[in-house]
Amino acid sequence: MDSTSRYLSMEKPNKADHLWRYTPWKKVHPTGDLSEIPPLSPPEISLGIIDGSELPPGIELKRGVFGEPDFSMSSALTNSFLHSSAETSRWTLVVDKGFSSEKPVIIDIKTGDLASVAHISLEIGKMSEFELITRVTGSSEWFGLLRTGQIQDGAVVNDVVIGLLDRGTMLRSDSIEICRDAQVRAGTVSSGSERTKSDLRYIMRETGGNIRVLGSILSAESMHLDHHIEIHHEAPETFSRLSWHSACGGSSRTIGTGMLTIRKGSIGADAAQIFHNLLLSKTAEADSIPELEVMENDVIGCGHGTANGPIDEEQMFYLKARGFDEDDAKRSLIAAFLNSTLSEMGGVDLHEWLVGELTLQLEALNA
Amino acid sequence: MSLLEIKDLHAGIDGNEILKGINLKIGPGEIHAIMGRNGSGKTTTANIIMGHPDFEVEKGDVLLEGESLLELEAWERARKGVFLSFQYPQAVPGLQVGNFLRKSVASIRGEGEAKGSGFREGLTAAMEALDIPRSFMSRYVNDGFSGGEKKRFEILQLMLLRPRLAVLDETDSGLDIDGIRTVSEGVNAAIRGTESGALIITHYSRILEHVQPDVVHVLLDGKIVSSGGPELATKLEEKGYEWLKQ
Repeated sequence: MDSTSRYLSMEKPNKADHLWRYTPWKKVHPTGDLSEIPPLSPPEISLGIIDGSELPPGIELKRGVFGEPDFSMSSALTNSFLHSSAETSRWTLVVDKGFSSEKPVIIDIKTGDLASVAHISLEIGKMSEFELITRVTGSSEWFGLLRTGQIQDGAVVNDVVIGLLDRGTMLRSDSIEICRDAQVRAGTVSSGSERTKSDLRYIMRETGGNIRVLGSILSAESMHLDHHIEIHHEAPETFSRLSWHSACGGSSRTIGTGMLTIRKGSIGADAAQIFHNLLLSKTAEADSIPELEVMENDVIGCGHGTANGPIDEEQMFYLKARGFDEDDAKRSLIAAFLNSTLSEMGGVDLHEWLVGELTLQLEALNA
Repeated sequence: MSLLEIKDLHAGIDGNEILKGINLKIGPGEIHAIMGRNGSGKTTTANIIMGHPDFEVEKGDVLLEGESLLELEAWERARKGVFLSFQYPQAVPGLQVGNFLRKSVASIRGEGEAKGSGFREGLTAAMEALDIPRSFMSRYVNDGFSGGEKKRFEILQLMLLRPRLAVLDETDSGLDIDGIRTVSEGVNAAIRGTESGALIITHYSRILEHVQPDVVHVLLDGKIVSSGGPELATKLEEKGYEWLKQ
């Protein structure tokens, strides 16, 4: 069955469904008519190096995705919808075995003004080593991003998606497999869109997989940013950390739901997830729901936690005693809070670039 | 005119009066010390001078060069030249030391002072004087710092910000003898030979052996009960505080 037929044949989820409890599918669907897959435009997509220098050989963004993606680990509803609607905008990032780049590579997605969608399949070759930024900008009312693929044996990849839409809704779904001994930092930086629904899933089916999932989320005004993150350990000696920081201002709402599973046989697995929420106003709301399913007894560790709170008044006083005025101190503490995860997403160049992007967002929100 | 004048200061927190009428004058270029037991009001005095919002002034005034500070926010006081070296400096994970220092110097001394070779050279010299490694710059403010590192970092800020009045709240606590000597040299470099002044709050006379105060005050139960020269600190070290109660 192709993805269009699959989506149309599926029963649509109701609010009792864990995944859709906080952001119903009806509010995320581009038209709200759940029985249709409306025509969506392809966004403008380009591949480059963040400083504009020439791409080294061994990396290419090709049109098309080869074969039907494996949706067994993902939400069939979201992924079949996105896959079907992205028929004219499917891409594969092909990274050769052993590829390396000292400077971060960027996939720049410009949505334009129209509702648009893209599917990018990541085929990251063995033992490759690089940093990848996927940046989404534009003014479209709706944008969908489906990312699927594999990070193959021994690859070391920092993979950051930064969503900076001016308005509208962003629906994102990631289904990424991390192969033997691959080391991945999967970062999400989110700010700008009025509504975001992300469903990010990472699976480690082979020994030695290692992933750090990091989020720096900034919401303001009446934004509604909902991120669901699943990390599945299905092999021995696999490692994961989820660290998610959300700063919520105005009357915005952020939701972070985590699902960590350790399947029987994943001996020596080591996993932890933590959500931190910084509440910047009395009307802002942050919900974090970490969940665990541990089927193996012989694990190194498996923990979860969540912490919510306003800006620390003693930190404010410390900065004010050093000459920071009220706004400067507040902005610096928000930036510091988000930077705690941002700085873990990659190396110096990537970090500086991300700080620059986030600073612009903070200044825009402050203005 | 006095650099700092505290006039009949009554202040406290959560409705509890801690300071019960303090009077103090510090002239330009002078270093004063306040000594006292735990709970006598030393840290409250420091917080009131800097403008901590939790503390309430019921009566009296605090003047910097004749201008009342009490209606000013902490950042306004800092920009007028008041500096507090915290007893327990706050950690700010995610805020890099280098960025913090640059922004702080820009706020207090002006944008031009936080740029270029002048800033870098001043920073390098202060770090060398305090034995602070360059790797400090990429760490987060006070995050994971040892007690000694925190105190050295406070004095690094003192040296860079060049305040009119430095209040050092138990800067010597948690430091070993070498640490006290290094920190004291930093205080002397920042204050001695300038028109600035300092108020050193301490339990012990050790730091006062390295930063010779002009006047020592003893604070007991929210009042200054005795003032004198540096010899008063030595006497307190030998005899304790009981004799002052009689």
